Amino acid sequence: MAPKKDPKAPAKKAEPAPAPAPAPAPEPAPAPKAPAVDLSAIKAFGLFDRVGDNKVAYNQIADIMRALGQNPTNKEVNKLLGNPSADDMANKRVEFEGFLPMLQAIINSPNKAGYEDYVEGLRVFDKEGNGTVMGAELRIVLSTLGEKMTEAEIDALMAGQEDENGCVNYEAFVKHIMSV
Amino acid sequence: MDCHNEDCSRPQEEEDIMDIPLDDPEANRAAAKIQAGFRGHMTRKKLKPEDKTEGEERQEDRGQ
Repeated sequence: MAPKKDPKAPAKKAEPAPAPAPAPAPEPAPAPKAPAVDLSAIKAFGLFDRVGDNKVAYNQIADIMRALGQNPTNKEVNKLLGNPSADDMANKRVEFEGFLPMLQAIINSPNKAGYEDYVEGLRVFDKEGNGTVMGAELRIVLSTLGEKMTEAEIDALMAGQEDENGCVNYEAFVKHIMSV
Repeated sequence: MDCHNEDCSRPQEEEDIMDIPLDDPEANRAAAKIQAGFRGHMTRKKLKPEDKTEGEERQEDRGQ
């Protein structure tokens, strides 16, 4: 009797290496808050995809949100992106499924500014309490405080807003800002 | 030259401008909110003409 060699062959699990599955088509979840956002969000996202890989670069995220009617600060967006480096901002890309929760976070943000907030914020610089601020002073504030704006941005913003005395009626200014 | 002349001091306007609270966190926070609103507005304004061409939904780069 020849000894039977029972080779304990390890069970071969024919498991093919799972290839990274392509993202399935996002199903619009029945969110109680503004379900219409999903459709316009998909459209906006697609418009910003210049590469055609169904992704957008980190440095486009804030603009897509703005296109969708939100006003995130750059700080809020950076926080959602995990405080990326400048290199990450330019080179890292995110797909729609990654973008949507970030957008939702901004939409649901508790400290969103409205008309009154903007007016109150500008009223701080209304030295004479007459409903106007000096255009020149506003330009300096915008370029030195908070998330500094460039001269080009400020010029584009202030175009046609200063009266002949260089003053800006800030309530009208804010209404104009909020109309788009 | 008489440098002690008051005319040598900074004009009133500049003094007011120098009152800007560069280190005040509240002022900076208020400024950031305003700037966020402005940036939102400008992005939407820039995209507006593209929005009107809804019939042509092309994902091609329009150079913008």
